[in-house]
Amino acid sequence: MSDANTHSDLAKSIGTALPSLPNPSELSSSNRALLLMAPLLAFELLIFVVPFFILLRISVTEGSDDTVYEAGTWSLEAYAEVFTSGLLRDVILYSFQLGVVVTVLSVVIGLFYAYAIWRSSGIVTSLLLLSVVMPLLTTLVIRTYAFTPLLAPTGTLNDVLLSLGLLSEPVQFVPATVGAVVGQLYIVLPYAVLAIYSVMATMDWGIVEAARDLGASRPRSFVEVVLPQVMPGIIVAAVISFAWSVGAYAAPDLLSNGITFAVHAEDLMLGDMRYSLAAALSVVMLLAMLLGVALISTVLNRFGGDFDLA
Amino acid sequence: MSEITLQGLEKQYGETIAVENVSVEITDGELLCLLGPSGSGKSTTLRMIAGLETPTEGEISIGDEDVTDQPAYERNTSTVFQDWALFPHKTVLENVAFGLKMDGVSEDQRHERAREMLERVQMAGYEDDDPTNLSGGQKQRVALARSLAVNPDVLLLDEPLSNLDKRLREDMQIELREIHEDVDVTFVHVTHDQDEAFTLADRIGVMNEGELIQVGDPDEIYENPKNRFIEGFLGDTNFVDGAVRSVGPDVVTVETELGEALTVPIDGDHDLSDGGELTLSLRPEILSIDRTATDGDVSETSHADERSVLADGSAVDAVVGTIDNVLYRGSTVRYSVSVGDSSLFVERTDTTEESLSVGDEIRIEWNGSDVLAFRPDGTRVGN
Repeated sequence: MSDANTHSDLAKSIGTALPSLPNPSELSSSNRALLLMAPLLAFELLIFVVPFFILLRISVTEGSDDTVYEAGTWSLEAYAEVFTSGLLRDVILYSFQLGVVVTVLSVVIGLFYAYAIWRSSGIVTSLLLLSVVMPLLTTLVIRTYAFTPLLAPTGTLNDVLLSLGLLSEPVQFVPATVGAVVGQLYIVLPYAVLAIYSVMATMDWGIVEAARDLGASRPRSFVEVVLPQVMPGIIVAAVISFAWSVGAYAAPDLLSNGITFAVHAEDLMLGDMRYSLAAALSVVMLLAMLLGVALISTVLNRFGGDFDLA
Repeated sequence: MSEITLQGLEKQYGETIAVENVSVEITDGELLCLLGPSGSGKSTTLRMIAGLETPTEGEISIGDEDVTDQPAYERNTSTVFQDWALFPHKTVLENVAFGLKMDGVSEDQRHERAREMLERVQMAGYEDDDPTNLSGGQKQRVALARSLAVNPDVLLLDEPLSNLDKRLREDMQIELREIHEDVDVTFVHVTHDQDEAFTLADRIGVMNEGELIQVGDPDEIYENPKNRFIEGFLGDTNFVDGAVRSVGPDVVTVETELGEALTVPIDGDHDLSDGGELTLSLRPEILSIDRTATDGDVSETSHADERSVLADGSAVDAVVGTIDNVLYRGSTVRYSVSVGDSSLFVERTDTTEESLSVGDEIRIEWNGSDVLAFRPDGTRVGN
């Protein structure tokens, strides 16, 4: 009897000791969502937003001969250089070219690979999925470096092509843009495949059969029924591939002579000590990429409806 | 020009035989129901006609054309699927117009035709709706309109009503019948529901374990089932096991677990001999019941006397039993009656009659010529 009283008194005292904690059931659903998101928001603020404003601030300082940038000054000279320098224009253009080529290849290959997984069954499905995930288990630098012995003029690919008589003399795949494209594609492809497959896996094969039954050929049923439905996955795959490839660092650095903006920004900071210019270049690229991503999702969303080939 | 001929059709998946040696001619404009339990191969047969499955062996022709190697999109067949398979990213109108779009019909024309079809299935006004928001019955109608819009030679229906509730299913059966009379298209309808098959079909093909056992008019199949499986599948019946006691010129006497020797008229040739095992089928509708007279003397002597010979030469058989269970099923009442070492169930549709209850002794009577007899391997005796 006395025990029970002690317990209820204890519960009461705890209840009054924590009056500031709101009862979860009294929170509106939007408040609760905000509360759940709080750790993420704090993380983003600390890791992304604050550093971004530091970057922004550095980009509008004067350059300095003695140090990396002239703290406390205000200047737009770095931006002026980004928009006028021929070298920087080439770097930006090269980054976007690499990004577009890798994105197109990864979406197209990813789409067909995901379709193959979707249509396979049993052990084949597991093997196909495993071979997508497998590369992710190796570190990025090692699997990128691995392309050097494969693609070098004296490497495996050239040996095979030469011995088959398809080439009369070795081709320099690395270091070259081809190498960078292959290396970067190998990095983003698993994500593209998984993004597309995750949407495709929820689709009903019956609607493809219905389309064929109603007179749609195989390619036609793919375009009419599979593609529009899988478009959300394609958009995710394209955005991941594009953003990652335009900002590619490892693959172009290790496998290509061409200089992407990420490689060049590093040179500017660590080699030339020009933080202001590196920061301005990064800000411009960030905005350009945002524009690119918006463009991709707008265009693809438009095609997400009804393809009219008739 | 849209009769369908299946010749020795067979489908194997690895070691499993899904469909075995199915041959049938489906005449132009008829409505054939393929009826069978799940896994009997009826859907696989339908999918082979549609071109969605490739037969392992055999031939399919539609009209005069051998379509065995034709892909689905080249055949002028159209399928209504069990889950309807509507295109979720297209509007109702675009769904119905899809087949015509594939045929290269202009947008104006195909939309006009699609509107007509939607009107035909009473779905006018839903043109711009998202099909995923429709109810099951509405999806069913849209799927039907989509399949009919392409003007197929053959309409294939793969259990399209099985996902609907009972009332809606019965309405749709009647509507399907009407549409079939309207459009003059050959229908092949797959179902596991014998009531649906009887309601819809011009002819029924009963399938079991991959084989097409019997094809015929509904009444012919019901009255003259080829084997024990069909007799059991088409409706509830009492199977009574027994052994032949004596074989007469056109009647056999069978010793059964009901404790009475029953006489079964057999026409034509049969290979029955004394002691041979038989299973008799006594459908509830051939059994008439009556309360036995409470006067002991009358019931004692009744059995032998009741086995009178009718004018057509068939005999009336009767047994006496005790009701041990009463089951109300709405329009009918079903009684389980223990007779001898076994039991029979009987039904009474007229519930206004004097009610019978558990423990009552009743007399069950039938005409011997209505009884069907099956050999141990399931084949029918006689015919």
